[in-house]
This record gives sequence, C-alpha cells and structure tokens, in this order.
Amino acid sequence: MSAAEQIDPSIDHYLAEFSRIERDLPGSDDSKRVRSTELKRFAEKGFPTVRDEEWKYTSLAAVEKRRFEISDESAAIDKSALDAFMPEGFEAYRVVLVDGYFNAGLSDLNELPAGVTVRSFAQHLRDNAGVGVKAQEVDDEPGSLAAMNAAFFTDGAYVETASGAVLEKPLHIVCVSSGAHEDRMTQVRHRYVFGENSQATIVEHAIGLGDKAYFANVVTEAVMGRNAQLKRVRLQEESERGYHVSAFFGQQRRDSRIFNHAFDLGGRLARIDTNSRLVDQNAEVHLNGVFVPTGRQHMDNHTMIDHDTEHSISREQYKGVLAGHGRGVFNGKILIRKDAQKTDSDLSVDALLLSDKAEVDAKPELEIYADDVTAGHGSTVGQLDEDAVFYLKSRGISEEGARAVLTYSFANALVEQLGIASIERYVEATLLKKLPGGEAFADLA
Amino acid sequence: MISIKNLHAEVEGKPILRGVDLEIPDGEVHAIMGPNGSGKSTLASILAGREEYEVTQGSVIYKGQELLEMDPDERACEGVFLGFQYPVEIPGVSNLYLLRAALNARRKYRGEPEIDAVDFMQMAQEKIDHVGMSMEMAKRGVNEDFSGGEKKRNEIFQMLMLEPNLAILDETDSGLDIDALKVVSNGINRLRSPERSVVLVTHYKRLLEHCVPDRIHVLYQGQIVRSGGPELADTLEAEGYANLETDEAAATS
Repeated sequence: MSAAEQIDPSIDHYLAEFSRIERDLPGSDDSKRVRSTELKRFAEKGFPTVRDEEWKYTSLAAVEKRRFEISDESAAIDKSALDAFMPEGFEAYRVVLVDGYFNAGLSDLNELPAGVTVRSFAQHLRDNAGVGVKAQEVDDEPGSLAAMNAAFFTDGAYVETASGAVLEKPLHIVCVSSGAHEDRMTQVRHRYVFGENSQATIVEHAIGLGDKAYFANVVTEAVMGRNAQLKRVRLQEESERGYHVSAFFGQQRRDSRIFNHAFDLGGRLARIDTNSRLVDQNAEVHLNGVFVPTGRQHMDNHTMIDHDTEHSISREQYKGVLAGHGRGVFNGKILIRKDAQKTDSDLSVDALLLSDKAEVDAKPELEIYADDVTAGHGSTVGQLDEDAVFYLKSRGISEEGARAVLTYSFANALVEQLGIASIERYVEATLLKKLPGGEAFADLA
Repeated sequence: MISIKNLHAEVEGKPILRGVDLEIPDGEVHAIMGPNGSGKSTLASILAGREEYEVTQGSVIYKGQELLEMDPDERACEGVFLGFQYPVEIPGVSNLYLLRAALNARRKYRGEPEIDAVDFMQMAQEKIDHVGMSMEMAKRGVNEDFSGGEKKRNEIFQMLMLEPNLAILDETDSGLDIDALKVVSNGINRLRSPERSVVLVTHYKRLLEHCVPDRIHVLYQGQIVRSGGPELADTLEAEGYANLETDEAAATS
C-alpha cells in the first residue's frame, strides 16, 4: 500500500467531526453542498507538509497529530477577562466571537452609521439563502486549510458598506479562544463587502485565554468596490499553546485601497497568508507586518500580491524581531502579469536577530511578465548595532535595557505607520514586555 | 579624580596604548592632543568602557575605585560621561526619553526615587537654552536627522543634564563651525567646578582658546610624551608634532 493510499487517521477524525456538527452549520442547502465539496478538497490534500514548497519551513506536524474539536457553544467568559487585551483609549464598535460563535453580550454595535452593516456571519447566512459560504468575487482560495475553514466555519463577522458609507470609528473584531477545554478548534470566517467610495478600519484581534492547546483557523475575504478603502489591522495574541492560521483574500476593483497592518506577537505557531488581487487600474495595496517570535514561537508570513492589470500599486514592508529560539519565515510573492504594465511595486523585509539560537528565512519572490514596470525589493538580516548599544550603556542604561530600547526603535519605525495611536502604543508596549529587560521601558510606547 | 597608571591596551592583538600615565585632579580640565593614530580616541573609549579594546596592563583609579572593572553603565552611574566623536541615531526614542531614563538609572543606582516629571522638564528647558537647541529637537528621536553640529550640541546637552564628575569629550569640537564651537566650549565651561573634571581629546587649538585647560598632554604612539600648561598648545601649533620622535627618543635613552 503506497503512502498516498493510507487512510490518514487525522483526516478521518475531521471527517467524523464534520458529520457530528454538519447539521448545525449555518447556510442554505447550496452552502451545505459547497461545504461538503470543500471538506473533500481538504481531505484529499490533507494538512500541508514541509514537502510542499509553500510550507518548506513550517511544519504543522504538531497540529496534525492532535484531534481538535469544534466547540458546541461558546464558553461563558467574563468581560473583565478581555480587559487586559483592550488597548487603552481605543474607541471602537466591537464584535466579539468566543470559541467561534458571535457573542452579543460582549459585542457593541450601537449607533452604526447608516449604510454600514456589521453582524454575525452565521446569522447573515441563515437570513439570506442566496449568500454563499465563499465570496463569488474571490476567485479561488488555494490551500487545504482555507478549504477546511470553508467546510467547518461556525461564524465570523459580516461587514457590508453601502456606496459612499464611511465608518468613522474603527470596528474591533475580537476572536477569543476561551481555553475552557483542551484541543478545541475555532474555524472563523469574516467577509467584508465594500461598496463604491466606502471606507472603514477593521481590527481583527486574536486572543487566547488559558493554557489549553487549541487551533484557530481564520479566513477573511474582502471585496473592494471602486475607490473603496479598507484599513485592516491583524493583532495576533494567541496564548502559549495556540496554533494560529490566518488567510486573507482581497479582490480590488479600480482605485480601491487596502492598508494591511499585521502584528504577530503571540501563539506557539502562526502561519499567515495575505493575498490580494488587483484586478483593475490604480488599485493599491500596502502590506505592513511586524512579527516577534521569542521563546520557542514560530511565525510564518506568506504574502501574495497579484497585479492583474496596468497601473496598480503595491507597497510591502515586513520586520521581524527574533529572540530566544524564535523562528521566523517570510515569503513575499509579487506576481506582475503580462497586462500589468506600469505596475509600481516595492517590497522590503528586515529581520533583527537578538539571539544566536533564533533563525529566520526571508525571501522576496518576484514573478514579472510585463516589461514596463517598477519593482523594487530588498531583504536584510542583521543584529543590533553594537555602537548604539554602547552609546546607551555609556548613558547608564543596562545592557538588556539598551537592547530592548534599540529593538523598540527598529520595530517602531513600522508600527508608527499604522496611524491609530492607541493601538500603536499597545503593540509597542506588548513588544517591549516580550523582550528581556524591556518591561522597564514599556513607557516608551 | 582619576589616576591612570601604566595603561597598556590593544585591539585585535595590535598594541595601541603602551604605558599611559596620567593624573587628573578634581576640578581640572586636561586636554589630550596628538597626531592621528596616537591612541587618543582609544584612551577615551577605554575610560568609558568600550569592549573592543583589551587592556593588557595597568590600572585606572577613579574616585578610589578600579574603573576598568566596572561595566559601562555602572561607570555612567558613577558619574563618568563620554561625549562621542560619532554620536549614534536612535529613531523613535526621543532625546528627552533617553535623558530621563539615564537620569533615573543613575538615581536607582544611588537608591534615590525617580525624577519628578515637572522638575525634569524644567531642567531640560534650562539646559536646552544653554546649547541653543529647541524643545522640538529634544522631542525628536535621539540624533534623528541631526546635522553633525547638532549631534555635538546634543552631546553637550546630555552632558549638562547628566552633570558628570568626569566628562571625557572625544573630538567633540571636530567639524564644527564657530557658533557650534562656542556652544560646546560654553557648555564645558559651565560644567567646570571644583568637584568635576574634564578630559578634552582634540586636534585643534581652537577649542582650547575658548576653553582654557589646566594642563595639555601630548599622546604619541601610545604614550604621553609631553605635558605642559595651556601655552603648550601654541608650541605645538608652531612646531607641529614633527619633533616628538626626538623627544621620545630622548626620554627613553
């Protein structure tokens, strides 16, 4: 019997798990058929392995060997359990999902402006038989984990902005894994549908409570109408035994803009795929990311920008701070298709190694089929400037303190581009707390 | 204040200092001059605790303690200040933040409470005026986008804020126009007091006209080959360092 024919006990578990919960999953009969197809797709492909080029440096063996189960309901959690994760001074509408289910009591959607819909995605599917589990506009969602999500997802946030609608206050979507039971999984899917000229800021915040092992698989689809603008923040603070997988699929019409800022601070392992397809002229995407694996954390960012037609713009900057035995991966693919003349793109990734046990693989990957484009890219891996360390020590700052302050300086250059002061301070303070000696300088933020 | 005895140091096996002897009493300003490569900056760096240099022999007694056994941050907390030849830029960390952290590090070391925020700002405003910087500059990142002259002014600003007992200024006067030079020399003169000493490492007599030292020492090939009063600067300017070799030959024969 060849390896391919062996029945994978892990897949078996998920097929059984699907049968167990299928009846309760939201969506029309059509949706149920799509879910079954996606489940099959997941079962055929299985979990990605390091033999897969896209997963060369990130092993999911630890995820695959466990048997995660969907929670039947969200655990009752106290609002105060989330207080420590709320950035001070951050005024926002709030959607809270606990263990994969919308929690109305913890959410706050009062006084949404006219033309803006924010609700439970599960409820939206139940109320609208015509809405699919996958956005029609998003061509394909490659990868078996996105398929797993399409099959299993229990809920998420559905956001729709009418033409010209502007959400002045940001929307804070908090995905909490309660840690009430060992080996739970949350499968959450968000969909953003932006009308022409509409604008919103959405913060997707992943939080893990407790010390139980869990698997969080998040998919976000964003369909951007003409001249629409999304500022999306990913703030990942899973707990120590949390395995986090997140995929974003953007589809951008003419003149639309996505500003994506990702901050990966938590979790045992995180894999983030950020994809956007610029299907029309003058569409623009900015991807910024800071990842900070310390201890034994593993963080892998894969990005894919698809320039489909002429005159579109992409800017991408990532910074990694790696300490302890931290492991980082960055792969930034930019595809400039034959018709995408006058594309203007730039990508840079810089990694700072704070320990000789830390490791990073960072690679820009350009595929260019048009002949009249601007496509810059750069990649650096380095250590702290010892002259700067000495400078600070000569002023009385301890060795550890000097290193924490300089690391802050390195990451801050990117964090401060976010433009939301309360979250900038929160991210910077959290980053400093992760670094030895950094706590004393948390007021730098 | 500080007593340097028979100090030998090397970098990557290459001897740079070959037996430096130097006494700087409390309250005095001493200048160290000498041609390029004579070991002036090395001496300044060793006093502040830079690790690239290996001290192979000798001792440096500062306020009765062996300075060479202290970490650079400990030296700073004990009142040693190095004005850098090439100050570094630290974007995102404001000059004021660094100074407050530095002052508090020293206070903690001495078992004192943190500095009051209002007192700190008052002090900063006063000292900033002395060096012709603006509060806006002080709020920017450490030396971020500062010109060469602005960086040196900032070193003097830091020195005035930290009020060291021993200030070592490594070519702080190099590359300055006359206005900036006056700021630097005024800053040093302000610091002068019976309980503070200053070491000026310089190439140029110009600084010493605005900031007259008690003693001038000539460092040549890793040794002090000549010492004298402020008038030695004139001699050196007239004669250069050309006949130092004969001096040294005479001294060792």
